[in-house]
Amino acid sequence: MTTRLFARNFLVAMLAAVVLWPVSSARGGPLEVMQGTEIFTPPPDSDIPQGPFGDLVRKGEKIFTQTGRFARHYVGNDLTCESCHLNRGRKAYSAPLWGAYVLYPRFRSKNHMVNKLDERIQGCFRFSMNGTPPPVTSQTMKALIAYSFWMSRGAPVGVKLKGQGMLTLPKPGSTPSVLRGRKIYVARCALCHGMHGQGRTSHGGQVFPPVWGNRSYNKGAGLYKVAKLAGFVKMNMPLSKGDTLSDQASWDVAAYVDSQPRPANPRKRPRS
Amino acid sequence: MKVVLSVLLLVAEIVAFPAWSGATPLMDWGLHVAKEGNGKPGSTACMECHRLDGGGMPSIGSPRIAGQPSQYIAREIREVKAGKRYGPVMAGVVQNLSLRDIRAVALYYSRAKSPKLPDVGPSDPTLVGEGKHIATRGFWKKNIPACVQCHGPNGYGVPPLFPYIAGQNRTYLLRQLMAYAFLKRQDDPDGLMRGIARRMTMTQRKAVAEYFSSLKPPIRDVP
Repeated sequence: MTTRLFARNFLVAMLAAVVLWPVSSARGGPLEVMQGTEIFTPPPDSDIPQGPFGDLVRKGEKIFTQTGRFARHYVGNDLTCESCHLNRGRKAYSAPLWGAYVLYPRFRSKNHMVNKLDERIQGCFRFSMNGTPPPVTSQTMKALIAYSFWMSRGAPVGVKLKGQGMLTLPKPGSTPSVLRGRKIYVARCALCHGMHGQGRTSHGGQVFPPVWGNRSYNKGAGLYKVAKLAGFVKMNMPLSKGDTLSDQASWDVAAYVDSQPRPANPRKRPRS
Repeated sequence: MKVVLSVLLLVAEIVAFPAWSGATPLMDWGLHVAKEGNGKPGSTACMECHRLDGGGMPSIGSPRIAGQPSQYIAREIREVKAGKRYGPVMAGVVQNLSLRDIRAVALYYSRAKSPKLPDVGPSDPTLVGEGKHIATRGFWKKNIPACVQCHGPNGYGVPPLFPYIAGQNRTYLLRQLMAYAFLKRQDDPDGLMRGIARRMTMTQRKAVAEYFSSLKPPIRDVP
């Protein structure tokens, strides 16, 4: 009996040690830790429960995938949450919700504050959606938080998960070139996003998101940083063919897209 | 004076008869080719397989083309002609089409209207369900986006180059997925469909073909 108990305790201790070891040994604090090579898998849709919680999660998903329709008042362009967070917020390296949820609250250099996830989502609406932030108490925000919470069920907290956020590309071999980027854009991106970055529509509805112009993200958005856009492009574009552009090509095309006109940064324009 | 007059006459001629090769308007010529072929030896009328209203023939897997964007139809004919799109039947009949013939039939069929023609045999509800899941959510484990992300909500197409697939016949849809995966259909931009079709399982290919063939085709609203 004692031996068995000891064996069990020992096993638990070993397991804890294995799990905690990378956390304690990381030099840059827990945020730099990778959880092995496996990418976190969010729970399947079939697990969403019946009842009010499940309803809120399902509502969150609708807002997430058809933002202009279900959160109309807060959206100022033709993008949806899913335009950047692919596969309904699940795809690794396209800032998946399961990676974001477990990282908040956290300090952000963007505004020099410790932000909660709802504040972070407000930033998405203000900058990437070029719209109005939904209040923390709004149904829109509650549903989006519920959806994120649901998706991160079972994800380890306080560590940097593999596939979380966007890929940080190494510095390019040569300075990103708008001219080279334009050529790549025309050859590989314009099919869906259009020669003028306007995206494409089907029967009046937006299908492929505009990547510049007044219906795209504004100059305060994360993707307006060439490095961030390059990381996104590298791992996700063209859709279904992620990781086929070279690092340099990703930098170049990101430089081109972000050199094009788009709405001003709302921090810098007078409030109307 | 004489020179000015002759120049004026020439201009008038150009304005009156815009196309030097055959003065028939493009749309009428398209109808003619669809109905009777272009008159050259060995020419075939498109309607023999695609019907005059563009509904296709589900029994032989000939696609419906009514209301497909004209740019898409023209491109596909050119790609068959160039040998980049596998199409054993089409390859034999498009060779003597001129570029104008192609533009004309593409225009004609892009404006044609046809109801959904029934597929041969009943559809499998289990497959339709699985197909719907892939069509609307994708199968990202294998990096397969939802079909509707490129073919538009309900598979209504995103002009000019993403065709509608809703209401297309089942045999044709499955054949194309097979041709992308294993045969020489290589006309897809950036190899997008080849990659996706290869990563699908046989059941998944059947399932999405079942699903989209079970839908109604779009009412045309595109050029």
